[in-house]
Amino acid sequence: MTVEPGEFCAVVGPSGCGKSTTLTLVAGLDQASEGTVAVGGQPVTGIGRGTSFMFQTDALLPWKTVLGNVAMGPLFRGVPKKQALTDARDWLRMVGLTGFEDHHPHQLSGGMRKRVALAAALINEPSILLMDEPFGALDVQTKAIMSNELLTLWDQSRPSVIFVTHDLEEAIALADKVVVMTAGPGTVKAVFDIDLPRPRGSVQEIRFGQRFTELHHEIWESLRDEVTRAYARTSALAGPVPAVEEVPS
Amino acid sequence: MTRRKLQVHAAQIAVLIFVFGGWQLFTTLKIVDPFFFGKPSGIVSQAVSWVRHGTSFGSIWLQIETTMEEAVLGFIIGVAGGIVVGVLLGQVRFLSEVLSPYIKAVNALPRIVLGTLFIIMLGLGMSSKVVLAAFLVFFVVFFNAYQGVREVDGNLINNARVLGASRMQLVRNVVIPSAMTWIIASLHVAFGFAVIGAVVGEVLGAQHGLGVLITDSANNFNADGVFAGMIIIGALALVAEWLISLLERRVLAWRPQMATEASAV
Repeated sequence: MTVEPGEFCAVVGPSGCGKSTTLTLVAGLDQASEGTVAVGGQPVTGIGRGTSFMFQTDALLPWKTVLGNVAMGPLFRGVPKKQALTDARDWLRMVGLTGFEDHHPHQLSGGMRKRVALAAALINEPSILLMDEPFGALDVQTKAIMSNELLTLWDQSRPSVIFVTHDLEEAIALADKVVVMTAGPGTVKAVFDIDLPRPRGSVQEIRFGQRFTELHHEIWESLRDEVTRAYARTSALAGPVPAVEEVPS
Repeated sequence: MTRRKLQVHAAQIAVLIFVFGGWQLFTTLKIVDPFFFGKPSGIVSQAVSWVRHGTSFGSIWLQIETTMEEAVLGFIIGVAGGIVVGVLLGQVRFLSEVLSPYIKAVNALPRIVLGTLFIIMLGLGMSSKVVLAAFLVFFVVFFNAYQGVREVDGNLINNARVLGASRMQLVRNVVIPSAMTWIIASLHVAFGFAVIGAVVGEVLGAQHGLGVLITDSANNFNADGVFAGMIIIGALALVAEWLISLLERRVLAWRPQMATEASAV
Protein backbone atom coordinates (compact mmCIF):
# COMPACT_ATOMS: atom_id res chain seq x y z
CA MET A 1 0.00 0.00 0.00
CA THR A 2 1.48 3.31 -1.09
CA VAL A 3 0.16 6.81 -0.66
CA GLU A 4 1.46 9.47 -3.04
CA PRO A 5 2.26 12.99 -1.86
CA GLY A 6 -0.92 15.04 -1.73
CA GLU A 7 -3.13 12.01 -2.17
CA PHE A 8 -6.26 11.44 -0.10
CA CYS A 9 -6.39 7.74 0.69
CA ALA A 10 -9.26 6.11 2.58
CA VAL A 11 -8.85 2.72 4.25
CA VAL A 12 -11.90 0.53 4.82
CA GLY A 13 -12.13 -2.93 6.26
CA PRO A 14 -13.89 -5.00 8.91
CA SER A 15 -13.43 -4.20 12.60
CA GLY A 16 -10.19 -5.47 14.04
CA CYS A 17 -8.31 -5.80 10.75
CA GLY A 18 -5.58 -3.42 11.85
CA LYS A 19 -6.63 -0.16 10.23
CA SER A 20 -5.88 1.88 13.32
CA THR A 21 -2.64 0.01 13.99
CA THR A 22 -1.46 0.96 10.51
CA LEU A 23 -1.89 4.61 11.43
CA THR A 24 0.05 4.34 14.68
CA LEU A 25 2.87 2.68 12.73
CA VAL A 26 2.96 5.47 10.16
CA ALA A 27 2.90 8.04 12.96
CA GLY A 28 5.83 6.34 14.66
CA LEU A 29 3.88 5.78 17.88
CA ASP A 30 4.48 2.03 17.57
CA GLN A 31 7.16 -0.03 15.87
CA ALA A 32 6.25 -2.68 13.31
CA SER A 33 7.20 -6.23 14.35
CA GLU A 34 7.40 -7.30 10.72
CA GLY A 35 7.59 -5.41 7.48
CA THR A 36 8.50 -1.77 7.09
CA VAL A 37 6.82 1.57 7.03
CA ALA A 38 8.54 4.27 5.05
CA VAL A 39 7.72 7.94 4.82
CA GLY A 40 9.33 9.86 1.97
CA GLY A 41 11.55 6.83 1.28
CA GLN A 42 12.93 6.74 4.82
CA PRO A 43 11.88 3.99 7.25
CA VAL A 44 9.91 5.32 10.22
CA THR A 45 11.94 5.06 13.43
CA GLY A 46 10.17 7.60 15.60
CA ILE A 47 7.64 10.37 15.54
CA GLY A 48 8.18 12.42 12.43
CA ARG A 49 7.91 16.18 12.27
CA GLY A 50 5.67 16.29 9.25
CA THR A 51 2.93 14.08 10.63
CA SER A 52 -0.33 15.02 12.32
CA PHE A 53 -2.84 12.61 13.77
CA MET A 54 -6.55 13.05 14.40
CA PHE A 55 -7.90 10.46 16.79
CA GLN A 56 -11.24 8.75 16.96
CA THR A 57 -11.92 9.94 20.50
CA ASP A 58 -11.30 13.43 21.77
CA ALA A 59 -7.65 14.09 22.38
CA LEU A 60 -8.05 17.72 23.43
CA LEU A 61 -6.67 18.64 26.82
CA PRO A 62 -9.74 19.41 28.95
CA TRP A 63 -7.83 21.85 31.22
CA LYS A 64 -6.61 24.00 28.36
CA THR A 65 -8.74 26.54 26.52
CA VAL A 66 -9.59 26.07 22.87
CA LEU A 67 -6.85 28.54 21.96
CA GLY A 68 -4.34 26.77 24.20
CA ASN A 69 -5.16 23.43 22.63
CA VAL A 70 -4.62 24.68 19.10
CA ALA A 71 -1.43 26.56 20.00
CA MET A 72 0.04 23.44 21.60
CA GLY A 73 1.63 22.01 18.46
CA PRO A 74 3.68 25.10 17.54
CA LEU A 75 4.63 25.68 21.20
CA PHE A 76 5.95 22.12 21.51
CA ARG A 77 8.05 22.75 18.42
CA GLY A 78 9.59 25.89 19.81
CA VAL A 79 7.60 28.58 18.00
CA PRO A 80 7.58 31.77 20.14
CA LYS A 81 4.44 32.06 22.24
CA LYS A 82 3.13 35.22 20.60
CA GLN A 83 3.50 33.76 17.12
CA ALA A 84 1.91 30.46 18.19
CA LEU A 85 -1.15 32.23 19.61
CA THR A 86 -1.55 34.36 16.49
CA ASP A 87 -1.37 31.26 14.29
CA ALA A 88 -3.84 29.47 16.55
CA ARG A 89 -6.31 32.37 16.24
CA ASP A 90 -5.96 32.24 12.45
CA TRP A 91 -6.67 28.53 12.40
CA LEU A 92 -9.66 28.89 14.68
CA ARG A 93 -11.02 31.49 12.28
CA MET A 94 -10.53 29.05 9.40
CA VAL A 95 -12.53 26.34 11.14
CA GLY A 96 -15.22 28.87 12.07
CA LEU A 97 -14.61 29.04 15.81
CA THR A 98 -13.76 32.72 16.27
CA GLY A 99 -15.22 33.82 19.60
CA PHE A 100 -14.67 30.45 21.28
CA GLU A 101 -10.94 30.93 22.02
CA ASP A 102 -11.39 31.06 25.79
CA HIS A 103 -13.91 28.22 26.09
CA HIS A 104 -12.90 24.88 27.50
CA PRO A 105 -13.50 21.75 25.39
CA HIS A 106 -16.34 20.47 27.59
CA GLN A 107 -18.30 23.63 26.82
CA LEU A 108 -18.34 22.81 23.10
CA SER A 109 -20.50 20.46 21.05
CA GLY A 110 -19.05 17.30 19.53
CA GLY A 111 -18.75 18.90 16.10
CA MET A 112 -17.02 21.98 17.51
CA ARG A 113 -14.53 19.83 19.38
CA LYS A 114 -13.72 18.08 16.10
CA ARG A 115 -13.08 21.46 14.49
CA VAL A 116 -10.66 22.32 17.29
CA ALA A 117 -8.92 18.97 16.82
CA LEU A 118 -8.73 19.60 13.07
CA ALA A 119 -7.21 23.05 13.61
CA ALA A 120 -4.76 21.59 16.15
CA ALA A 121 -3.71 18.93 13.62
CA LEU A 122 -3.34 21.27 10.65
CA ILE A 123 -1.55 24.12 12.42
CA ASN A 124 1.68 22.11 12.32
CA GLU A 125 1.41 22.17 8.51
CA PRO A 126 1.79 18.42 8.17
CA SER A 127 2.79 16.72 4.95
CA ILE A 128 0.95 13.64 6.21
CA LEU A 129 -2.38 13.77 7.99
CA LEU A 130 -3.53 10.57 9.65
CA MET A 131 -7.18 10.31 10.57
CA ASP A 132 -8.63 7.45 12.57
CA GLU A 133 -12.42 7.54 12.13
CA PRO A 134 -12.30 11.19 13.15
CA PHE A 135 -16.01 11.80 12.59
CA GLY A 136 -17.21 8.38 13.76
CA ALA A 137 -18.93 9.67 16.89
CA LEU A 138 -20.79 12.51 15.17
CA ASP A 139 -24.39 12.52 14.02
CA VAL A 140 -24.99 12.17 10.29
CA GLN A 141 -25.61 15.86 9.55
CA THR A 142 -22.63 17.12 11.54
CA LYS A 143 -20.49 14.45 9.93
CA ALA A 144 -21.45 15.68 6.44
CA ILE A 145 -20.65 19.29 7.36
CA MET A 146 -17.31 18.29 8.85
CA SER A 147 -16.46 16.23 5.76
CA ASN A 148 -17.08 19.25 3.53
CA GLU A 149 -14.88 21.42 5.72
CA LEU A 150 -12.17 18.83 5.77
CA LEU A 151 -12.11 18.75 1.96
CA THR A 152 -11.95 22.55 1.77
CA LEU A 153 -9.07 22.77 4.26
CA TRP A 154 -7.26 19.83 2.70
CA ASP A 155 -7.47 21.48 -0.70
CA GLN A 156 -5.56 24.51 0.61
CA SER A 157 -2.38 22.73 1.67
CA ARG A 158 -2.85 19.25 0.13
CA PRO A 159 -1.14 17.00 2.66
CA SER A 160 -1.20 13.26 2.04
CA VAL A 161 -4.11 11.85 4.00
CA ILE A 162 -4.74 8.35 5.30
CA PHE A 163 -8.34 8.30 6.43
CA VAL A 164 -9.49 5.20 8.28
CA THR A 165 -13.24 4.64 8.38
CA HIS A 166 -15.79 1.90 8.11
CA ASP A 167 -18.26 4.14 6.38
CA LEU A 168 -17.81 3.29 2.69
CA GLU A 169 -19.84 6.28 1.48
CA GLU A 170 -17.67 8.64 3.47
CA ALA A 171 -14.58 6.98 2.02
CA ILE A 172 -15.72 7.34 -1.59
CA ALA A 173 -16.96 10.89 -1.16
CA LEU A 174 -13.67 12.09 0.30
CA ALA A 175 -10.87 10.03 -1.19
CA ASP A 176 -8.80 9.71 -4.35
CA LYS A 177 -8.20 6.09 -3.56
CA VAL A 178 -9.99 3.53 -1.39
CA VAL A 179 -8.02 0.64 0.08
CA VAL A 180 -9.98 -2.43 1.17
CA MET A 181 -8.33 -4.54 3.86
CA THR A 182 -8.93 -8.22 4.55
CA ALA A 183 -10.28 -9.63 7.78
CA GLY A 184 -8.02 -11.35 10.28
CA PRO A 185 -4.46 -10.95 9.14
CA GLY A 186 -4.95 -7.45 7.85
CA THR A 187 -3.52 -7.26 4.39
CA VAL A 188 -4.49 -5.08 1.47
CA LYS A 189 -7.16 -6.84 -0.57
CA ALA A 190 -7.81 -4.33 -3.30
CA VAL A 191 -7.23 -0.71 -4.19
CA PHE A 192 -9.88 1.32 -6.02
CA ASP A 193 -9.21 4.62 -7.71
CA ILE A 194 -12.00 7.09 -7.24
CA ASP A 195 -12.22 9.04 -10.48
CA LEU A 196 -14.83 11.49 -9.29
CA PRO A 197 -13.75 15.01 -10.32
CA ARG A 198 -12.54 17.55 -7.80
CA PRO A 199 -13.66 19.87 -6.31
CA ARG A 200 -16.36 17.47 -5.25
CA GLY A 201 -18.77 19.98 -3.78
CA SER A 202 -21.17 18.83 -1.13
CA VAL A 203 -20.63 15.26 0.11
CA GLN A 204 -24.36 14.96 0.69
CA GLU A 205 -25.12 15.44 -3.00
CA ILE A 206 -22.23 13.64 -4.63
CA ARG A 207 -23.58 10.32 -3.48
CA PHE A 208 -26.61 10.56 -5.75
CA GLY A 209 -24.42 10.66 -8.86
CA GLN A 210 -24.33 7.63 -11.15
CA ARG A 211 -20.56 7.14 -11.01
CA PHE A 212 -20.68 7.25 -7.20
CA THR A 213 -23.26 4.46 -7.12
CA GLU A 214 -21.20 2.34 -9.51
CA LEU A 215 -18.05 2.76 -7.42
CA HIS A 216 -19.95 2.06 -4.26
CA HIS A 217 -21.35 -1.14 -5.73
CA GLU A 218 -17.96 -2.27 -7.00
CA ILE A 219 -16.10 -1.65 -3.71
CA TRP A 220 -18.87 -3.11 -1.61
CA GLU A 221 -18.64 -6.37 -3.61
CA SER A 222 -15.04 -6.59 -2.48
CA LEU A 223 -15.63 -5.46 1.10
CA ARG A 224 -18.66 -7.67 1.70
CA ASP A 225 -16.74 -10.96 1.82
CA GLU A 226 -14.33 -9.58 4.37
CA VAL A 227 -17.09 -8.20 6.55
CA THR A 228 -18.92 -11.54 6.40
CA ARG A 229 -15.76 -13.43 7.30
CA ALA A 230 -14.95 -11.12 10.21
CA TYR A 231 -18.50 -11.39 11.44
CA ALA A 232 -18.46 -15.17 11.17
CA ARG A 233 -15.30 -15.28 13.28
CA THR A 234 -16.69 -13.18 16.09
CA SER A 235 -20.02 -15.01 16.14
CA ALA A 236 -18.79 -18.53 15.41
CA LEU A 237 -20.35 -19.77 18.62
CA ALA A 238 -23.57 -17.87 18.14
CA GLY A 239 -25.04 -20.07 15.41
CA PRO A 240 -25.47 -19.80 11.63
CA VAL A 241 -24.16 -16.68 9.95
CA PRO A 242 -26.62 -14.50 8.10
CA ALA A 243 -25.35 -13.54 4.66
CA VAL A 244 -24.76 -9.85 4.16
CA GLU A 245 -26.63 -9.07 0.99
CA GLU A 246 -28.06 -5.62 1.26
CA VAL A 247 -25.96 -2.66 0.24
CA PRO A 248 -26.29 -0.35 3.25
CA SER A 249 -27.20 3.18 2.36
CA MET B 1 -34.89 24.16 47.29
CA THR B 2 -34.18 26.96 49.79
CA ARG B 3 -36.94 25.59 51.99
CA ARG B 4 -35.23 22.23 52.00
CA LYS B 5 -31.91 23.87 52.83
CA LEU B 6 -33.52 25.69 55.75
CA GLN B 7 -34.90 22.43 57.06
CA VAL B 8 -31.48 20.80 56.82
CA HIS B 9 -29.82 23.65 58.71
CA ALA B 10 -32.53 23.63 61.38
CA ALA B 11 -32.10 19.89 61.86
CA GLN B 12 -28.31 20.31 62.05
CA ILE B 13 -28.67 22.87 64.85
CA ALA B 14 -31.13 20.58 66.61
CA VAL B 15 -28.56 17.74 66.57
CA LEU B 16 -25.92 20.07 68.02
CA ILE B 17 -28.23 21.21 70.82
CA PHE B 18 -29.31 17.64 71.53
CA VAL B 19 -25.74 16.34 71.88
CA PHE B 20 -24.20 19.22 73.83
CA GLY B 21 -27.39 19.98 75.77
CA GLY B 22 -27.69 16.33 76.76
CA TRP B 23 -24.04 16.22 77.74
CA GLN B 24 -24.41 19.39 79.83
CA LEU B 25 -27.63 18.09 81.40
CA PHE B 26 -26.31 14.66 82.32
CA THR B 27 -23.11 16.04 83.82
CA THR B 28 -24.94 18.81 85.73
CA LEU B 29 -27.35 16.23 87.18
CA LYS B 30 -24.27 14.10 88.09
CA ILE B 31 -25.70 11.12 86.19
CA VAL B 32 -22.33 11.16 84.43
CA ASP B 33 -19.30 12.29 86.43
CA PRO B 34 -18.04 15.58 84.98
CA PHE B 35 -14.61 14.89 86.52
CA PHE B 36 -13.99 12.09 84.03
CA PHE B 37 -16.25 13.10 81.17
CA GLY B 38 -15.87 16.87 81.12
CA LYS B 39 -18.73 19.28 80.66
CA PRO B 40 -19.50 21.70 77.79
CA SER B 41 -19.62 24.73 80.08
CA GLY B 42 -16.35 23.61 81.67
CA ILE B 43 -14.73 23.23 78.25
CA VAL B 44 -15.76 26.77 77.31
CA SER B 45 -14.49 28.26 80.55
CA GLN B 46 -11.22 26.31 80.18
CA ALA B 47 -10.74 27.71 76.66
CA VAL B 48 -11.58 31.23 77.85
CA SER B 49 -9.13 30.95 80.71
CA TRP B 50 -6.38 29.80 78.32
CA VAL B 51 -7.01 32.83 76.15
CA ARG B 52 -7.16 35.25 79.14
CA HIS B 53 -4.51 33.88 81.46
CA GLY B 54 -2.42 31.73 79.17
CA THR B 55 -1.39 28.11 79.76
CA SER B 56 1.37 26.58 81.83
CA PHE B 57 3.52 26.58 78.68
CA GLY B 58 2.99 30.22 77.70
CA SER B 59 0.17 31.91 75.85
CA ILE B 60 -2.40 29.83 73.99
CA TRP B 61 -1.48 31.59 70.75
CA LEU B 62 2.07 30.31 71.06
CA GLN B 63 0.73 26.73 71.33
CA ILE B 64 -1.54 27.17 68.33
CA GLU B 65 1.21 28.80 66.32
CA THR B 66 3.68 26.02 67.14
CA THR B 67 1.32 23.22 66.17
CA MET B 68 0.17 24.95 63.00
CA GLU B 69 3.70 25.79 61.95
CA GLU B 70 4.71 22.16 62.34
CA ALA B 71 1.64 20.91 60.51
CA VAL B 72 1.90 23.40 57.63
CA LEU B 73 5.65 22.87 57.15
CA GLY B 74 5.18 19.10 57.27
CA PHE B 75 2.28 19.39 54.85
CA ILE B 76 4.26 21.44 52.32
CA ILE B 77 7.31 19.17 52.48
CA GLY B 78 5.20 16.00 52.32
CA VAL B 79 3.08 17.24 49.41
CA ALA B 80 6.09 18.40 47.41
CA GLY B 81 7.91 15.14 48.04
CA GLY B 82 4.83 13.05 47.28
CA ILE B 83 4.17 14.80 43.97
CA VAL B 84 7.79 14.67 42.80
CA VAL B 85 8.34 11.01 43.71
CA GLY B 86 4.86 10.01 42.53
CA VAL B 87 5.28 11.60 39.10
CA LEU B 88 8.84 10.28 38.78
CA LEU B 89 7.87 6.70 39.62
CA GLY B 90 4.73 6.95 37.50
CA GLN B 91 6.84 8.00 34.53
CA VAL B 92 9.93 5.83 34.92
CA ARG B 93 8.79 2.24 34.94
CA PHE B 94 12.19 0.84 35.89
CA LEU B 95 12.39 3.00 39.02
CA SER B 96 8.89 2.07 40.12
CA GLU B 97 9.57 -1.64 39.68
CA VAL B 98 12.77 -1.40 41.72
CA LEU B 99 11.35 0.72 44.52
CA SER B 100 7.77 -0.50 44.84
CA PRO B 101 8.42 -3.35 47.35
CA TYR B 102 10.38 -0.97 49.59
CA ILE B 103 7.69 1.70 49.44
CA LYS B 104 5.06 -0.86 50.34
CA ALA B 105 7.19 -2.10 53.23
CA VAL B 106 7.78 1.38 54.64
CA ASN B 107 4.11 2.21 54.20
CA ALA B 108 3.19 -0.90 56.21
CA LEU B 109 5.23 0.27 59.25
CA PRO B 110 3.24 1.74 62.12
CA ARG B 111 4.24 5.28 61.28
CA ILE B 112 3.12 6.86 64.54
CA VAL B 113 5.76 4.77 66.31
CA LEU B 114 8.34 6.33 64.03
CA GLY B 115 7.54 9.56 65.86
CA THR B 116 9.44 8.28 68.91
CA LEU B 117 12.39 7.53 66.65
CA PHE B 118 12.32 11.02 65.14
CA ILE B 119 12.34 12.52 68.62
CA ILE B 120 15.40 10.47 69.51
CA MET B 121 17.08 11.55 66.29
CA LEU B 122 15.99 15.17 66.10
CA GLY B 123 15.23 16.14 69.67
CA LEU B 124 12.22 17.74 71.35
CA GLY B 125 12.14 20.77 69.05
CA MET B 126 9.89 21.40 66.10
CA SER B 127 11.92 19.51 63.50
CA SER B 128 10.93 16.05 64.77
CA LYS B 129 7.21 16.96 64.47
CA VAL B 130 7.67 18.47 61.03
CA VAL B 131 9.38 15.29 59.84
CA LEU B 132 6.65 13.07 61.28
CA ALA B 133 3.91 15.19 59.69
CA ALA B 134 5.75 15.26 56.35
CA PHE B 135 6.21 11.50 56.52
CA LEU B 136 2.49 10.88 57.03
CA VAL B 137 1.53 13.35 54.30
CA PHE B 138 4.06 12.00 51.83
CA PHE B 139 2.49 8.57 51.51
CA VAL B 140 -1.04 9.84 51.01
CA VAL B 141 0.02 12.25 48.29
CA PHE B 142 2.54 9.88 46.75
CA PHE B 143 0.05 7.07 46.15
CA ASN B 144 -2.47 9.45 44.64
CA ALA B 145 0.06 11.19 42.40
CA TYR B 146 1.42 7.83 41.25
CA GLN B 147 -2.03 6.50 40.47
CA GLY B 148 -2.97 9.77 38.80
CA VAL B 149 0.05 9.58 36.52
CA ARG B 150 -0.76 5.99 35.67
CA GLU B 151 -4.35 6.86 34.76
CA VAL B 152 -3.52 9.57 32.24
CA ASP B 153 -5.50 8.97 29.05
CA GLY B 154 -3.20 7.30 26.52
CA ASN B 155 -4.89 9.23 23.73
CA LEU B 156 -3.87 12.55 25.24
CA ILE B 157 -0.28 11.34 25.54
CA ASN B 158 -0.17 10.08 21.95
CA ASN B 159 -1.74 13.26 20.66
CA ALA B 160 0.82 15.45 22.44
CA ARG B 161 3.65 13.21 21.24
CA VAL B 162 2.57 13.48 17.62
CA LEU B 163 2.23 17.25 18.03
CA GLY B 164 5.91 17.26 18.94
CA ALA B 165 6.05 17.27 22.74
CA SER B 166 9.35 16.35 24.39
CA ARG B 167 9.33 14.23 27.54
CA MET B 168 9.45 17.28 29.82
CA GLN B 169 6.75 19.08 27.85
CA LEU B 170 4.62 15.96 28.07
CA VAL B 171 4.99 15.79 31.85
CA ARG B 172 4.32 19.51 32.32
CA ASN B 173 1.44 19.93 29.88
CA VAL B 174 -0.32 16.59 30.02
CA VAL B 175 0.76 14.30 32.86
CA ILE B 176 0.78 16.70 35.82
CA PRO B 177 -2.44 18.58 34.95
CA SER B 178 -4.15 15.25 34.41
CA ALA B 179 -2.90 13.81 37.71
CA MET B 180 -3.86 17.06 39.46
CA THR B 181 -7.43 15.85 40.00
CA TRP B 182 -6.05 12.93 42.00
CA ILE B 183 -3.43 14.96 43.82
CA ILE B 184 -5.85 17.67 44.92
CA ALA B 185 -8.30 15.05 46.16
CA SER B 186 -5.55 13.65 48.38
CA LEU B 187 -4.76 17.06 49.91
CA HIS B 188 -7.96 17.07 51.97
CA VAL B 189 -6.93 13.87 53.71
CA ALA B 190 -3.28 14.88 53.73
CA PHE B 191 -3.78 17.99 55.83
CA GLY B 192 -5.59 15.93 58.43
CA PHE B 193 -2.54 13.66 58.53
CA ALA B 194 -0.23 16.67 58.88
CA VAL B 195 -2.13 17.81 61.99
CA ILE B 196 -2.11 14.27 63.39
CA GLY B 197 1.65 14.09 62.82
CA ALA B 198 2.26 17.40 64.59
CA VAL B 199 -0.02 16.66 67.55
CA VAL B 200 1.16 13.08 68.05
CA GLY B 201 4.75 14.29 67.87
CA GLU B 202 3.97 16.80 70.60
CA VAL B 203 2.22 14.20 72.72
CA LEU B 204 5.32 12.02 72.46
CA GLY B 205 7.51 14.84 73.71
CA ALA B 206 7.76 18.57 73.14
CA GLN B 207 8.06 21.92 74.87
CA HIS B 208 5.18 23.75 73.20
CA GLY B 209 2.09 22.99 71.19
CA LEU B 210 -1.51 21.88 71.49
CA GLY B 211 -0.42 18.25 71.87
CA VAL B 212 1.60 19.22 74.95
CA LEU B 213 -1.42 21.05 76.32
CA ILE B 214 -3.59 17.98 75.82
CA THR B 215 -1.15 15.56 77.48
CA ASP B 216 -0.64 17.99 80.35
CA SER B 217 -4.40 18.28 80.86
CA ALA B 218 -4.73 14.49 80.72
CA ASN B 219 -1.97 14.03 83.27
CA ASN B 220 -3.82 16.40 85.60
CA PHE B 221 -7.15 14.60 85.08
CA ASN B 222 -8.46 17.76 83.43
CA ALA B 223 -10.98 16.30 80.97
CA ASP B 224 -12.25 19.77 80.03
CA GLY B 225 -8.72 20.71 79.02
CA VAL B 226 -8.39 17.65 76.75
CA PHE B 227 -11.71 18.44 75.06
CA ALA B 228 -10.86 22.13 74.69
CA GLY B 229 -7.55 21.25 73.02
CA MET B 230 -9.31 18.80 70.72
CA ILE B 231 -11.91 21.36 69.69
CA ILE B 232 -9.27 24.00 68.94
CA ILE B 233 -7.42 21.51 66.70
CA GLY B 234 -10.67 20.55 65.00
CA ALA B 235 -11.54 24.18 64.30
CA LEU B 236 -8.10 24.84 62.84
CA ALA B 237 -8.38 21.75 60.61
CA LEU B 238 -11.76 22.99 59.35
CA VAL B 239 -10.22 26.34 58.38
CA ALA B 240 -7.43 24.53 56.55
CA GLU B 241 -9.94 22.31 54.80
CA TRP B 242 -11.79 25.41 53.62
CA LEU B 243 -8.55 26.90 52.26
CA ILE B 244 -7.81 23.68 50.38
CA SER B 245 -11.30 23.73 48.86
CA LEU B 246 -10.59 27.27 47.63
CA LEU B 247 -7.35 26.06 46.07
CA GLU B 248 -9.15 23.11 44.51
CA ARG B 249 -11.74 25.34 42.91
CA ARG B 250 -8.98 27.54 41.50
CA VAL B 251 -6.71 24.82 40.16
CA LEU B 252 -9.51 22.66 38.78
CA ALA B 253 -11.60 25.54 37.43
CA TRP B 254 -11.61 23.90 34.01
CA ARG B 255 -13.76 21.01 35.18
CA PRO B 256 -17.45 20.84 34.40
CA GLN B 257 -19.74 22.00 37.20
CA MET B 258 -20.70 18.69 38.78
CA ALA B 259 -17.37 18.48 40.62
CA THR B 260 -18.32 21.22 43.08
CA GLU B 261 -21.40 19.33 44.19
CA ALA B 262 -19.30 16.37 45.24
CA SER B 263 -17.01 18.56 47.33
CA ALA B 264 -20.00 19.99 49.17
CA VAL B 265 -20.53 16.68 50.97
